[in-house]
Amino acid sequence: MNEQTNLDIFTDSFLPLLQAGIAFTVPLTLISFALGLVLAMLTALARLSEFSPLAWVAGFYVWIIRGTPLLVQLFIIFYGLPSLGILIDAFPAAVIGFTLSVGAYGSEIIRAAIVSIPKGQWEAAYSLGETRLQALRRIILPQAARVSVPPLSNSFISLVKDTSLAATVTVTELFQKGQQITAAVYEPLLIYCEVALIYLIFCTVLAVLQRQLERYFDRYSTV
Amino acid sequence: MIEVRELTKSFGGTSVLRGIDLTLEQGQVLVVIGPSGSGKSTLLRCLNVLEVPTSGTVVIGKARLEFRADAKPRKADVLALRRQSGMVFQAYHLFPHFTALQNVMEGQITVRRTPKTEARAKALQLLAKVGLADRADAYPHQLSGGQQQRVGIARAMSIDPELLLFDEPTSALDPELVREVLKVIRELAEEGRTMMIVTHEMKFAREVADRIILLDGGVIVEEGPPEQIFGQPREERTRQFLSLLLEQGSV
Repeated sequence: MNEQTNLDIFTDSFLPLLQAGIAFTVPLTLISFALGLVLAMLTALARLSEFSPLAWVAGFYVWIIRGTPLLVQLFIIFYGLPSLGILIDAFPAAVIGFTLSVGAYGSEIIRAAIVSIPKGQWEAAYSLGETRLQALRRIILPQAARVSVPPLSNSFISLVKDTSLAATVTVTELFQKGQQITAAVYEPLLIYCEVALIYLIFCTVLAVLQRQLERYFDRYSTV
Repeated sequence: MIEVRELTKSFGGTSVLRGIDLTLEQGQVLVVIGPSGSGKSTLLRCLNVLEVPTSGTVVIGKARLEFRADAKPRKADVLALRRQSGMVFQAYHLFPHFTALQNVMEGQITVRRTPKTEARAKALQLLAKVGLADRADAYPHQLSGGQQQRVGIARAMSIDPELLLFDEPTSALDPELVREVLKVIRELAEEGRTMMIVTHEMKFAREVADRIILLDGGVIVEEGPPEQIFGQPREERTRQFLSLLLEQGSV
């Protein structure tokens, strides 16, 4: 007689799921992406550097990260490293894994964007007497940033969804929470659809932000 | 004063400049003509060190740099020489994320470390000089080709270079826009700016040049005042080149 309707289950679980999303999924995404972008920028510059050992190290890092599954990387960091005496809590372990991933894929995006800026822009900066660093900072990177916005936004949205992998290293983020609730109420279809819905809401908000960022950069257009 | 001694430049095994000697007094205008592939642009780019010469000596104003095939020049020396000349490119190469004003302020602020208000005042003055005072806040894509090139000229002048280099400044322009750019260059010549101009506009070359050099195959074939080059060329190669242009109707 006391049986809950599907609607009750849905509304009762919505708030805990959203909380898990806001408490773990969102910070995990934001922190990893911010750190990952810094790493991506440094890696891109290293790969374009005239100092070849630096370019080699950066290339090696990108090769490893892109050539192995993210899930396996997370397992190595969380379950593997303790064998070497390196114990990392679940959340920071996930941050490290996602940061390394964003750093590798992002560096390729940024590198491609830098290379896509016409050679004439470098020459014009040099002809004014600018150093390589000044030309990069003042002329090349601002233009490369504009080119990178759509592909980087893509990575960002992918990352939101990839954070569900953190469930496997015991972070109680959105998906993990969904699994816990499902175990209690046994309505997998309903709960997992609800989980999907909350991811969809997060990603939709990001897509709107992306469009605004693109509009900001479109105040000028490259010739 | 500008002095170039035994300047050579090779790309891989191909030598593009094979021993260029020239001297340019302050206030003189030197026009460089010659068939395509003769090394005209490379010569200009070597003076601005956008290409590093293979060997030879370049002196512009207070900067002097000797290039050697077996050693890379020091970065500081390259910068010092480069800052003596301003370059106007065929394809303008304005900074698209900057307004016309910001384009002309960039070198002053970043390289010369001029305070912003001072740089802005000077940039506005230079834009007025090229007839674009009212377009200071326009982005390059909002300007016509002729206007963009005039901003390019203002930008090249903004760092007070000893020497202005023009690399086919009107070749990318529609015919009706060529005149406004040539007018600006002519005014600069009258002001006594030291300039080196690569151009295919022979009528303009004749008017504006104090001296003309004809470059072919990486060497100077003939050098002299415009009256000599266009009136009584001494070299057979010069005659051939000019008659070819005559056929095309550009003299």
